[in-house]
Amino acid sequence: MDIKTLIQTTTPKERVNEAYNKAHSVQEKLNAMVSFIDPTEQVNLLDSKSNDLPFYGVPVVLKDLVNMKDTRTTGSSGILDNYISPYDATITRKLRDAGAIIIGKSSCDTFGMGGTNMTAWTGPVANPYDLTRMSGGSSGGSAVLVASGVVPMAIGTDTGDSIRKPASFNQIVGFKPSYGRISRYGVIPYASSLDHVGVFTRNVKDAALSLEVLAGRDDHDMTSSSLPVENYGDMCVGDLKGKRIGIIQNVIDSIHNLETLNQFKDLCQKLESKGAIISSIHLNEDLMHAFLPTYYIIANAEATANHSNLDSLRYGVLKEGQTMDESMILSRTAGFGKLLKKRFVIGSYALFTENQEEVFRKAQKVRRLIVDDVKRVLENVDVIMAPASGQGAPKFDDASIDQLSKEYLIAENYMALANFSGYPSITVPMGMVDGLPVGVNLTAYAHQDAKLLDIAFGIEKTTGISNVIKEVTQ
Amino acid sequence: MKEMDVQGFKALALQCRFELSDEEAQDIKNEFDVLISQMRLLEKIDTNQVEPMVYPFEEPTTFLREDVVENILPVKEVLKNAPKEKNGFFVTQKVVG
Amino acid sequence: MNYETVIGIEIHCELKTKTKMFSSAPVSVNSQPNTCVNEIDLGHPGTLPSLNKEAVRLSVMACHALNCEIDPLIKFDRKNYYYSDLPKGFQITQQFHPIGRNGYIDIPTDSGLKHIRINRLHMEEDTAKQYHSGDETWIDFNRAGTPLVEIVSEADIRSAHEAMIYVEKLRNILVYLGVTDGKMEEGSLRCDINISLREVGTEEFGVKTEIKNLNSISNIEKAIQAEVIRQTDLLENNQPVEQATRRYDDVQKTTILMRKKEGSVDYKYFPEPNITPVLMDPNWLKSIIDNLPELPDHREKRYMEAGLNAYDAGQLIQNKALSDFFDELIKETSYVKLAANWCLSDILANFSTKQLLEKAYSLKVKEMGNMINALGKQEISSKQAKDIFVELLKGNDYHQTVKVLNIEQVSDQSVLVKMVEDILNENEQSIIDYHNGKDRALGFLMGQIMKKSKGQANPVITNQLLLEGLMKRKP
Repeated sequence: MDIKTLIQTTTPKERVNEAYNKAHSVQEKLNAMVSFIDPTEQVNLLDSKSNDLPFYGVPVVLKDLVNMKDTRTTGSSGILDNYISPYDATITRKLRDAGAIIIGKSSCDTFGMGGTNMTAWTGPVANPYDLTRMSGGSSGGSAVLVASGVVPMAIGTDTGDSIRKPASFNQIVGFKPSYGRISRYGVIPYASSLDHVGVFTRNVKDAALSLEVLAGRDDHDMTSSSLPVENYGDMCVGDLKGKRIGIIQNVIDSIHNLETLNQFKDLCQKLESKGAIISSIHLNEDLMHAFLPTYYIIANAEATANHSNLDSLRYGVLKEGQTMDESMILSRTAGFGKLLKKRFVIGSYALFTENQEEVFRKAQKVRRLIVDDVKRVLENVDVIMAPASGQGAPKFDDASIDQLSKEYLIAENYMALANFSGYPSITVPMGMVDGLPVGVNLTAYAHQDAKLLDIAFGIEKTTGISNVIKEVTQ
Repeated sequence: MKEMDVQGFKALALQCRFELSDEEAQDIKNEFDVLISQMRLLEKIDTNQVEPMVYPFEEPTTFLREDVVENILPVKEVLKNAPKEKNGFFVTQKVVG
Repeated sequence: MNYETVIGIEIHCELKTKTKMFSSAPVSVNSQPNTCVNEIDLGHPGTLPSLNKEAVRLSVMACHALNCEIDPLIKFDRKNYYYSDLPKGFQITQQFHPIGRNGYIDIPTDSGLKHIRINRLHMEEDTAKQYHSGDETWIDFNRAGTPLVEIVSEADIRSAHEAMIYVEKLRNILVYLGVTDGKMEEGSLRCDINISLREVGTEEFGVKTEIKNLNSISNIEKAIQAEVIRQTDLLENNQPVEQATRRYDDVQKTTILMRKKEGSVDYKYFPEPNITPVLMDPNWLKSIIDNLPELPDHREKRYMEAGLNAYDAGQLIQNKALSDFFDELIKETSYVKLAANWCLSDILANFSTKQLLEKAYSLKVKEMGNMINALGKQEISSKQAKDIFVELLKGNDYHQTVKVLNIEQVSDQSVLVKMVEDILNENEQSIIDYHNGKDRALGFLMGQIMKKSKGQANPVITNQLLLEGLMKRKP
């Protein structure tokens, strides 16, 4: 059921307790939670709040990049394993002000840096549809907790596709609004110019409702948007008549899985029958091949600088040495996983002055060309659309990915276009491929979050797939 | 792009204040070849006269924060995560150089 | 071999704001450690910078007063390095787009005004303070995030004395603007000197050393002199000058090596992604410039136009607090030179700069004005003025004091005539001396009258009567 119905048909204590208990019961199989937060105090505080609040007594989960005062916020890392937030992220405050009850901090790839959730300090997160498969990442914990019915909404972050890919693998809605629409203050960063805060829900209207609560100018975040917050929920009408949808042909052409392609074709036909105008658009193919390295270079370079504060001097797990430098080195070496270290090395490589022009600044220039190209195709359509991935979630031990293949570069990494550009983007369920969920992804032009949600709602009505819970078999 | 070997990666890591084992550095070197091939895809793209894009939205803003004291963290909160502290100061080993 | 000293100076100046550059925590003044910080200053994960409007305003003022071109688009960059006093592991600074460029100030030298070019003025944030104690380092983050401007001169300075004048003048300008306290001893103004020597007549720069941690203007001159001697010595003995950072030891009166500069550190500068460029409102920019406080040069000129000599005017403007007091005083009296003398001696002797800044004194400026007026009109003598001043310091009124101390001036002609007659009768020799051309006799006779009248005789009238009396007794 959706959030509004949940509020109407249960008491806060009922729904919070059910969520909290369920979170514990799935933990062994899914390993989605880093910290559980006893909700008693928050629920007690509800008595002094109006029961009109949009998230009144609704249990939610925060990705463990999000600071919540007096809780552990680890970033799913080793070095922050003992860090207790002294402050609230702006979104934490907003959620609490809206009546939400935060029952835990969910696992992710360390500091959001990954697409598998296998780099989390607390171990991999499993997919409720098949426990031998990954949840996807980096916001894997949040995704599976929504997909398995623990909470109706969970906060994620999306830097390359970290909300929209796991949503695809878990048959839920994963929404990344326009850049700056939701404040990043208090959210542990990955790459500041690519990071977005977003949500997982089980239907589009709940995502719209969540945006109403989370969006808004925050003077603590100088990149946050001053545009007015709209009534996104009310604006979800879902009438597809005359809506122009551009299919990203490059992505279609790079997908090998016939079932995925058929499902997608089916969907397009259904949408047309609802009045949508479907066309084929092409992005520059050379640029599309460059999405992944452009993303990788910019993201890792910014991340390396962003995490220079982790020196275990003011907070964090300390490994003492003989000198200050030695302590820094020992602490960071012990507290960073192997994969994280690799990314920092790459980030540093891109940034050092000798290389910066050729690597980092080159990537930033290509970013501009990519964004110009995406802007170009969106001039003639309302949204661009493609399957969110070529197939369902990979198995944990899948070594078959060819990182230089067109399929990998394009089909599996194209969604970064919405991070480069800051345009709003959303994944909604499409269907099952080989028994696993695959979603469809839509992107609209800058600041057209309302339009995007409206069209996504129309697609949801067409597929009929919403409010799906995959119970974790005990 | 600068050529890198195992020692080069170890040095780069140290610049970022962490250590790579020989094995880890070798791993990175191996993966780096894939990475370099991916980065080479960028070279194919003509960026002559193109400005680097730093921000997704580039319109300048006008906001400046008023100079009013608002948020002070109580000392207890400041020090509660401190791995080492004495008399209200954060403490570390001697700083050399 | 004749060597020329080539000096460039970098000044870091703490801005007088209430809060930090990028956070709303207060700028601290001698507070308990780590009591003036929030999560942003401590570089906690997830925090973001928020730019201080007042820091921008003060920086704009400084740019304008230093004749810089002002960039209305504010951009920041990251300077990346690891150090225990740097909480984020990078400093937010303006590497690529400083707010001010291509400025200058003209400094007075023996051969006239010298033009010292200023390469840049940019905004950045300060680091934490560290205290070394044996095997440990103790860190206080109160200072972390304090707004700074860095002002970099071109290598136009050619002597220790010029360097001192440059820093003094720059500092004074910034103090007058209200941009900074400018206290070198407290660290709100820090000065790094880059110095090298080259053969006179050559163009190429020699190897430079950097002298840091200078804590007074006079030490700037001394440190440079010491370093010039050291470098000259090396060069004369065909030894190379090594690039290094040094400090001045004022006991040994030499510069001491702090650390060698092995190659340059790679700071990996790149634009700060969390601060989108801020475009300053042109009306606001204009109003800042139009409302700039009075600068020292302008004030000096104003004082000279009012009748002070160059020396007194120069002395007064060196101390803004005193100069502000002087400006208050001359609202109450037109005897400008007298007022200046009293300020430069008695006011300075009785009040500290802090007291003057805070107006922490009982003395009423209006009453001091009254006293100076009386002195100027010669209604009272200098000695009487000194006595009156003691009372004014306590907060008393001028006219009240004159009554209480019985300093009524005698101006009654008949009384004075009698006094003059009496004195002349008692000092025949002086009369003869006077008529023999000994002018000192006049002074002596005046002194006698003053003594007789307990200093209360009106000097102007008395002098006139005395001259008349002497003429009458011409032998």
